[in-house]
Amino acid sequence: MAAVAPTVPVRRRRRQRESDTVTVGRSKAGTVLANTAGILFAVVMAFPVYWVLNTAFKPSPEILQFDPTLVPHSPTLDNFKSAFNAPYFQQDLLNSIIITLCAVAGAIVIGFLAALAIARFKFYGRKAIILVILGVQMVPLVALLIPLFLMMQGFGLTKSLAGVIIVYIVLILPYTVWTLRGFIYGIPRELDEAALIDGCTRAQVFWRIILPLTGPGLVATSVYGFIQAWNEFIIINTFNDQAQQNLMAWLLQNQTQRGTFWGPLMAGSILTAIPVVIFFLIIQRNIATGLTAGAVKG
Amino acid sequence: MKRKIALAAALATTLLAAACGSDSGSSGTPNANASVDGKGKTLKVWLMVDAQSGWKNVVDQANQRFTQATGAQVQVDYQQWGDHLAKVDATLAGSDVPDVMELGNTEMPKYVFNGAFHELDKSQYDNSANWLTGLSAPCELEGKTYCVPYYAGARVLIYNTDLFSKAGLKPPTTYDEVVAAAKTLKEKNTGSKFSAFYAPGKYVYAGLAWVKGSGGEIAKKDGDKWVGQLNQPASQEGLTKWADLVKNYSVGDKTKDEQDQDPIFAQGQTGMMYGSSWELGAVQEQPKDPNNPESPKVKTKVNGKVAATAMPGIPSFLGGSNLGVTAKAANPELAAQWIKIFTDTQSQEALIAKGALPNATNLLDKAAAVEGNKASAEAAKNSWFVPMAPKWAEVESANVIQEMLTSIATGKATVADATKKADDQINTILNS
Amino acid sequence: MSAVDSRSAPARPTPPGPPAPPAHKRRKRRSSTSGGGTPYWLAVPALVMLIGLLGYPMIRMVVLSFQNMRLRELFQGLTPPWVGLDNYTKVLTDDVFWSVVLRTVVFTAVSVVLTVVLGLAVALLMRRVAPGVRIAMIIAMMFVWAMPQLVAAQIFRWLVDANFGVINYMLTQLGFDFENHSWFADPKQGWVVITALVVWAGIPFIAITLNAGLTQVPKELIEAATVDGASPWQALRNITLPILKQLIVIVTTLSVIWNFGLFTQPWVIRDGKPEAEYQTLATYAYSVAFKNNNYSLGSAISVITVLLLLFVMVFYIRQMFKIGDVD
Repeated sequence: MAAVAPTVPVRRRRRQRESDTVTVGRSKAGTVLANTAGILFAVVMAFPVYWVLNTAFKPSPEILQFDPTLVPHSPTLDNFKSAFNAPYFQQDLLNSIIITLCAVAGAIVIGFLAALAIARFKFYGRKAIILVILGVQMVPLVALLIPLFLMMQGFGLTKSLAGVIIVYIVLILPYTVWTLRGFIYGIPRELDEAALIDGCTRAQVFWRIILPLTGPGLVATSVYGFIQAWNEFIIINTFNDQAQQNLMAWLLQNQTQRGTFWGPLMAGSILTAIPVVIFFLIIQRNIATGLTAGAVKG
Repeated sequence: MKRKIALAAALATTLLAAACGSDSGSSGTPNANASVDGKGKTLKVWLMVDAQSGWKNVVDQANQRFTQATGAQVQVDYQQWGDHLAKVDATLAGSDVPDVMELGNTEMPKYVFNGAFHELDKSQYDNSANWLTGLSAPCELEGKTYCVPYYAGARVLIYNTDLFSKAGLKPPTTYDEVVAAAKTLKEKNTGSKFSAFYAPGKYVYAGLAWVKGSGGEIAKKDGDKWVGQLNQPASQEGLTKWADLVKNYSVGDKTKDEQDQDPIFAQGQTGMMYGSSWELGAVQEQPKDPNNPESPKVKTKVNGKVAATAMPGIPSFLGGSNLGVTAKAANPELAAQWIKIFTDTQSQEALIAKGALPNATNLLDKAAAVEGNKASAEAAKNSWFVPMAPKWAEVESANVIQEMLTSIATGKATVADATKKADDQINTILNS
Repeated sequence: MSAVDSRSAPARPTPPGPPAPPAHKRRKRRSSTSGGGTPYWLAVPALVMLIGLLGYPMIRMVVLSFQNMRLRELFQGLTPPWVGLDNYTKVLTDDVFWSVVLRTVVFTAVSVVLTVVLGLAVALLMRRVAPGVRIAMIIAMMFVWAMPQLVAAQIFRWLVDANFGVINYMLTQLGFDFENHSWFADPKQGWVVITALVVWAGIPFIAITLNAGLTQVPKELIEAATVDGASPWQALRNITLPILKQLIVIVTTLSVIWNFGLFTQPWVIRDGKPEAEYQTLATYAYSVAFKNNNYSLGSAISVITVLLLLFVMVFYIRQMFKIGDVD
């Protein structure tokens, strides 16, 4: 909310409307060209997604034929039934939901607290903590797989959802802390101080003032965490048995020594992607706002 | 004070005794014939998914018999083949290890050599005198046995009877007849997707079988060291013959392996292919629901038009799996008993009925009687196996043979260069 | 963790340098920032988890790289023998390793440049098109963004399948002879496919982020410049880009870190067994560790990968310090 050199009013919190786009100097031909390009882009981008849908509704013989059909000639729901009834699919779906929600919730709570510390306080070791958080993101996970596995087994946390949740929280944490730190940093200290003067305790300041204002940031980081946890398959495959896998690991099982079961794989993929899409739709308004609040001078 | 010391000593002794007493399996050989009371215990078994999709009834029956005999329950966890060794390694390194583990026969030597399995008493298991060498050799180390053969698979020539009769061809009985048939089929069928002999470029057990067919070897032990033999004239001759088929009679992605063979053959535009015995059934019908092997079968385009015969001139690799009692098993004796039941003649006969090949030569004739299995049962009698080096599995996972074959198939390297490179890699890995 | 990071994370909304005049600092009271023990309590859970869970494995990884751990030691819990810098020497003098590094670097450079440039182009395009078209673009990108990496890799594999793939089919229909064409026989073509996959999957995040950033560009500025005779290109270069600069730097650095650790795509597209020409640093480390059961060598490779990445991170951190973000 800072005053800046240009005298134009701040637009940060207004939702983007048609009048926000530049209208001077735009030719009709240019617009037609742009629209065509835009539609072409949407079609090309969406084509692989369309192909997933297309394949999911085809019966196996139609999938495995030399001349692919652009639209299913004999559409069927068999692949969805196959995926849904496949061994462990429903169990894995439930596992995915539980693991992801817990991991994201955990990461946000812990991350928010740490972000508060870094953004709002100056203390000895602060820079070190920041470096740790940044540095930890660069380590390739595969290198840590076996020591991590052995350690978790020592704690008795393998073959369970809890162990995987803990590891996922740790995976999501650095990015969460860093992003929330940025958001909290953007909230002016004057608000804190005004509240403190008015008699609030520090905890109340955090709970009543900073937390609500960090809303968009929480949403943005939960998107990241959701996708990370939802998509992971290496760790859970190593740690757990068949009954405690997630949907991604289940998808992998469609790739067997005897070829890939494309139909159920595609149908299963759609089923796997639906929760993510729903999640996106719910928060899509906040994505854009939350993403760049304060990112750009203005 | 004296009493306290005495108490402490008693406690310590008890603890020590308990600790030592529970260490029953790691020193001795688990006795499969012992009568163990397994009440309240659960045996943990790791099998590969083939059992789940191919012969689950055999597993269930064995479990039932086992529980009746010992009172213990069985918990079976099915593993996927893809990248499963990473999980196996991590698990074997830990403390919570399954009692029984299935591994491919080419993977076994590595684990046997590194002490992952208990020694077993061979004589306690059915048909052990007649075990197929391709399955039992991986289990033996310095005269001791560390695992039990489970089931086998062999490869045969699968051909389209319709295309053959239209071209006036009879099933080939020599290798030259195979090539001649391919040539005729190619002339008579000019579709752009037609393969007279579908031979994918990354098919390890085909390429190596051709090596053996010309009298070549893969690797030999020279004193203390392993020496790759793929660069030798006989091996090269075999590979050249194989490459000839791939380049001239096979249409398709030269970098693919044999996973897509069946759907391709099922399109009806392939004359011949080299496949495992179960592929004869797989190309003719597929379960409607791939995830449910019990679901009704859907016929493919080539249903009723396919037959199998032994591949003339090319000895088959003997594939298959073995079962072992892990060194860290919590219930080694129960594990040994379970394996005994799961691999005895009764179980093997049930396995044969489902189309797999048994683990012993005396059962092969019974297998030949099963519809469609005659050719593979014959092939199993003349089969070969990979070099019995502890590190052979690493040659497999390092993709040495695959890369050699694809570089030949795509024309990137000559047979001489590709085999030289492969030999060097084999020497490095096997002797490291 | 770069190996499993997806490109789907939103950007870091780092605020610009201290906007307030220095007087503000003078008025700051000690109590509002030093806080006594409070920051430690707040940060403790995160630190405990990070250091507790990752500390031991990371130390183990570094220690392993100086030992020689093979399968036997793994199974029997023996202490592996100490070999000092042997593993590092082996890795650093191995031609295969350097070819993998080169490949990873080239891929990262090409894919990041493509993604950011295309993402920016799409973001600009989004500002220019009719609202209906913009919505169509956003919906398409949403679906792409939501698609898991694993699934995306599988579908690309299927699209370019030599025998059954629709790309070959369509190209053949258009008159080019692509029948049964293998996209992976020639690694150059194979990498085109993999790069296309990564760029395709990465554009939504970049485009939507930059688009949001573009809303911060005051339209009056652009209009004024246009009225003054500036071409759209000049307006872009002199007004829009400088404003977006920080955001572009951020998304570029993130993309570099993610793409450098590329694992899933080449792994899945080559069916779990990438050939030598398809190995990236991450797949190579995994192959060496798990397929050759040479955990020590794999650890050494991972350590070197981290050091290489640190190189990039240093740049990023300095940028952050430069814009006064981290004080």
